[in-house]
Amino acid sequence: MYIFFDMSKVCRLTRMLSFGGCLNLIGRQRTPLLRTSSSVTMDALRTGSSSASMNVFDRSMKRKQKAWASALVDADKYDYLRNEVGSRIADRIFDVARTFPLALEIGCGRSHIVQHLNKETIDTLFLVDVNEKALRMTAEMDIPTHKVLADEEFLPFKENTFDLVVSSLSLHWVNDLPGSLKQINNILKPDGVFIGAMVGGDTLYELRCSLQLAELEREGGFAPHISPYTAVTDLGNLLGLAGFKMLTVDIDEIEVYYPDMFQVIKDLQGMGESNCAWNRKPMLHRDTMLAAAAIYKAMYGNEDGSVPATFQILYMIGWKHHDSQVKPAKRGSANVSFGDIGKMNELSRNKPNS
Amino acid sequence: MSNSNVWLTSRERMRRFPELLAVCAKEAAVYGKCVASSGEYELKKDACGREFQALKRCFIEAAKKIK
Repeated sequence: MYIFFDMSKVCRLTRMLSFGGCLNLIGRQRTPLLRTSSSVTMDALRTGSSSASMNVFDRSMKRKQKAWASALVDADKYDYLRNEVGSRIADRIFDVARTFPLALEIGCGRSHIVQHLNKETIDTLFLVDVNEKALRMTAEMDIPTHKVLADEEFLPFKENTFDLVVSSLSLHWVNDLPGSLKQINNILKPDGVFIGAMVGGDTLYELRCSLQLAELEREGGFAPHISPYTAVTDLGNLLGLAGFKMLTVDIDEIEVYYPDMFQVIKDLQGMGESNCAWNRKPMLHRDTMLAAAAIYKAMYGNEDGSVPATFQILYMIGWKHHDSQVKPAKRGSANVSFGDIGKMNELSRNKPNS
Repeated sequence: MSNSNVWLTSRERMRRFPELLAVCAKEAAVYGKCVASSGEYELKKDACGREFQALKRCFIEAAKKIK
């Protein structure tokens, strides 16, 4: 077993963004990595249709990669990241103090969220994925399940159907993310909730930087090898534009330690997370690989010789509009002044029942 | 490259990369330090060419020794 991954000791959870030093070095390169910007989403809304011009990923290639990954004999060895993120999403579902009669999981893979849920929270569950083999491999669970083979961008459901929609680590391969989020908002019932997790921002920045520096030194220029991710700031805008209310977006960083860069790449392949962006460079010279592995270890390696790979997971919670939801207070309706904050203790003493 | 075995043989060779890299850890560290410490204007093609050639030589020799 070539992965040293001990969850209790090694999995670090931080809520602060941490930037690798080489991002300053290659400052220019950051812009292509912001996959959507508010100006693109505004155009999509103005034309009134989901933008067909956003074609970043080769979806048929992604389907083939996922099928290949599911066909591996030891496919469940690569599930550690998905299981971890799935359990954290399940935590968020439990935090919501209600039950969901009808739930949908988009891009479920071998269904990593539902293993942590039970019949009290969800009555019926629909599983959607592009990969048929993974759907067939989902474990039996006590919640009655229906499996649907469908693409995340073309959900075949009627509007106002579901109480809960979850998505774990599959929306980062979607071409038209604004359109997809709008569809999710559509199929939710009023006062339904969408809880999702996407890989974002600074994920795998160590791998990205090492490859860039190695290609720069060995070949004189560099090409993108890591797929573009959504930035946290864009995610809030996207959810708002899709019509979600009461948004919550937070960031988790999961660091996984590997012996060297080659194992990082091998695990990413095994997870079905190989790059399928149209702009990816198909060739990686052996010299560059060697150089990148050496740079990775020199720049980011630990004392015991292992190297970290960072996965920055963005969790988002959005509710579909319902009249019973709390609205922001009207302007001018304040009846307490900010200056009274110093006298808070007196105020609360005078009101014994509040 | 019409031989379908090329994929299998090149992947087989790549599978040995981690252990060969472990043998050449010292040269790799020297090369890595050279790249990491060069500023943004000094990192041109072959900026750390000497260190890389040393690493590559060590790598090839390790590949010959460890069959």
